[in-house]
Amino acid sequence: MTHTLHRVGTPEALSRDYVLLFMPSKDINHVGSGPKLRQLLEISQKNGAIRIGDCRLGNEYYQGGVDKLLKNVEDRAVVHAVFNDPEKMTAALKEIKAAGLGLSVVVSGLFDNVRECCGKAGLTPHTVNNTLGRWGRTDRLPPQNVLELNTMCGHGMVTVKLIEDTAAKVKSGEMTAEQGAERLFKPCMCGIFNADRAAGLLKAMAAK
Amino acid sequence: MIIDKEKCITCGQCEVYCPVGAITIGDEYAEIDFDECTECYNCLRMAECPADAIYQQKLEWPRTVRSVLSDVLTIAPESGISGRGTEEMKTNEVTGRFKHGWAGVGIEVGRPTLGARFFDVEKIAMAMAKLGVEFEACNPTTSLMSDVKTGKFKDDVLNEKVLSAIIEFSVPLAKLDEVFVGLKEVSQRIETVFSLCVASRVAPDGNVPTHDVMRKSSIWFAPNGKTNVGLGRPMFKED
Repeated sequence: MTHTLHRVGTPEALSRDYVLLFMPSKDINHVGSGPKLRQLLEISQKNGAIRIGDCRLGNEYYQGGVDKLLKNVEDRAVVHAVFNDPEKMTAALKEIKAAGLGLSVVVSGLFDNVRECCGKAGLTPHTVNNTLGRWGRTDRLPPQNVLELNTMCGHGMVTVKLIEDTAAKVKSGEMTAEQGAERLFKPCMCGIFNADRAAGLLKAMAAK
Repeated sequence: MIIDKEKCITCGQCEVYCPVGAITIGDEYAEIDFDECTECYNCLRMAECPADAIYQQKLEWPRTVRSVLSDVLTIAPESGISGRGTEEMKTNEVTGRFKHGWAGVGIEVGRPTLGARFFDVEKIAMAMAKLGVEFEACNPTTSLMSDVKTGKFKDDVLNEKVLSAIIEFSVPLAKLDEVFVGLKEVSQRIETVFSLCVASRVAPDGNVPTHDVMRKSSIWFAPNGKTNVGLGRPMFKED
């Protein structure tokens, strides 16, 4: 509980970072869910999602392209779409509601903004999940800017060393911030890492 | 995961992909600290080793635990889904897992960046078990307990290291403050971190009842999180 939660960032940065998660429930509505999940991803793409991803089989790089990712979606998959614009996400939510596919949809992002998007899309929040932060040996954690990048992959595949190495390469001019963000995206198998936001964070790190 | 010393050309490409810093690059070959490795597959998948030197050794119990709770693409038999958790609140409108008057609690031990040994996971689980909580049966972490009443884990997994393990349970809202007190205490006794989350149904008036409990208990919570928008069908009907 759970990979799209616990994203660290300033309210300003988080205001451009949303994840839609789509999934069926085991033994309730999972049979035949694959084509519906694919349709939800296609609706998201049409409305401006910056990424789509699949927890079960891996991200677009791992599967060899977005087309293959869409084609391979199975029943019982957990799939995602990342947005950096709440208006575009609202448009996607409206179309998703109208499609009436009957699968669960979870929106991760700033609650105030998500509530507003839901209101515009005619949706009523059913259940919420709050993050209460990090407890225990927080003295052992990396600095905030590294955590902001690391926590965009909830499974921790975007490692501290990869972030530090990439930031150094961006600073030295070996790669652009956008190329660096793409490098960081690749290990995030679920495809929920927001590369747009990451490019901004890498630029800020390089400027220091 | 193991690096074949004979094949390794010490290019160092794999080092940055280890989430727990278990890879060191020596003068003649790179090496993975076998005790620290969580079997997450990230180095094998991402490093594009030019010498094809990284390989997965045969995993046997209890080391298999590492892969289930660290590799994103391993399907946990208990939940049937990839990842370390369960459907939890993500499908709550159809499962009714978290009802009005209850809170779902998820304690993800080892997240972020540090990973966790099960002796730390056990400390937290035992502290929560004293409050009489019932651990989520479908959760792969629960399946590693030898006694779900006490939160005791099987002895042979206690030193296993994973990227994270999620302790998951539901409690009546009236008991949530006791959970926070217990977690504050046990958080002083562990060598790692945990990321904490609390889920609840939204009241008909739009209020989130757990927020009142957290404010009263002076517990910080973030302005961002997850919202299930209730589109799953058939909808679960509460009594």
